[in-house]
Amino acid sequence: MGFTSRFIDQAKARSGSVVLPEGTDVRIIQAARQIKDEGIADPILLGPAEEIQAVAAQDGVSLDGIRMIDPKTSDKLEDYTQGYAQNRELSPNVARRMVKRSLFYGGMMVASGDASTMVAGVAHATATVIQAGALTVGYAPGIQTASSFFLMVIPEFQGQRDKPFIYADCAVNIAPTPPELADIALASHASGEKLLGEPARTALLSFSTRGSASHEHIDKVTEALAIVKQRGAGLDIDGELQADAAIIPAVGAKKVMQPGPVVGNANVLIFPDLDAGNIAYKLTQYMANAQAIGPFLQGFAKPISDLSRGASAQDVVATTSICIAMT
Amino acid sequence: MSDTAERVKKVVAETLKIDASMINDGSKFVEDLGAESIQSVELVAAFEEEFDIEMDEQGALGVKDVGTAVAFIEKHL
Repeated sequence: MGFTSRFIDQAKARSGSVVLPEGTDVRIIQAARQIKDEGIADPILLGPAEEIQAVAAQDGVSLDGIRMIDPKTSDKLEDYTQGYAQNRELSPNVARRMVKRSLFYGGMMVASGDASTMVAGVAHATATVIQAGALTVGYAPGIQTASSFFLMVIPEFQGQRDKPFIYADCAVNIAPTPPELADIALASHASGEKLLGEPARTALLSFSTRGSASHEHIDKVTEALAIVKQRGAGLDIDGELQADAAIIPAVGAKKVMQPGPVVGNANVLIFPDLDAGNIAYKLTQYMANAQAIGPFLQGFAKPISDLSRGASAQDVVATTSICIAMT
Repeated sequence: MSDTAERVKKVVAETLKIDASMINDGSKFVEDLGAESIQSVELVAAFEEEFDIEMDEQGALGVKDVGTAVAFIEKHL
């Protein structure tokens, strides 16, 4: 677990709750048991109780003290239906069909404060989890794009041990437009503030540093930065910067006349597209032996996260801890 | 034009809050009718309600325009 153990401690101090919509999956049941036993959060499994109980019994997992809710028969179904119908301007009958879906019921629990966070994805595509988050919890103020980030922990970086960075977007937006890239930068900066253990310093990366080259790809980054400056005035977000100028103080000082707090000291790295972000995180993971934690979704009004379909129970526990730490 | 197609257009118009006259058999929900991609699941729920059917999630992901919606629904009727 290493670096993630700090989030388990943070989560324990929060007394939050996590809704797990894929409650009949054995990995989710095992994770719920551990989340409950270790006091990380109050886990809520969604699904028909008899199905959850059958899977748990087969695996020898006790469900003592773990809440189970079947969205289709829940006494909250009508409340959530009314809320969803009102928010989305849909008929109650259509809204009820939406809320009976476990991901949407879970999203409505988070939206209404009946759960602190939702963690899903072992049986749903990422796009479906994003859809549920956007339509129930909605986006954070000023954000209109869901995106993702990795928490990268570098064992040894410039004399620092276990140095954490946020990398984004490495998993969701293939070719973000300038407004989308601005959303990614703002959401990642907010994620960094909550998770890095130090102030976030966000760099929009490029193959150019402050106009050292000219190309439409650079224009995209500078347009995004202009939007960020309008929407997030006063935040330590800078660009466009080459990666070395962003993270190495000596290089930043050589390449940038007036460096400011971000140049050379960035800890949130925003890549111009998914090619760059995905390649960078995998190279860092394997060439620097870094721990790649995630991907996590971001941009929602409250934390909601996606899991890989191959996630283990331990992955579910770690993701839950970080989501609770972000509440 | 089939009754199913007419009912699909009515549901699409109501859900996306657009005029039904804008919709034809080839209309794509996102590109032509201005739907957000995240709204596709609400369209599916609205079709389910109109036709009193259950559409499987995986198959429903392929419903991106009026024509495929009509074909998908008629298989369930």
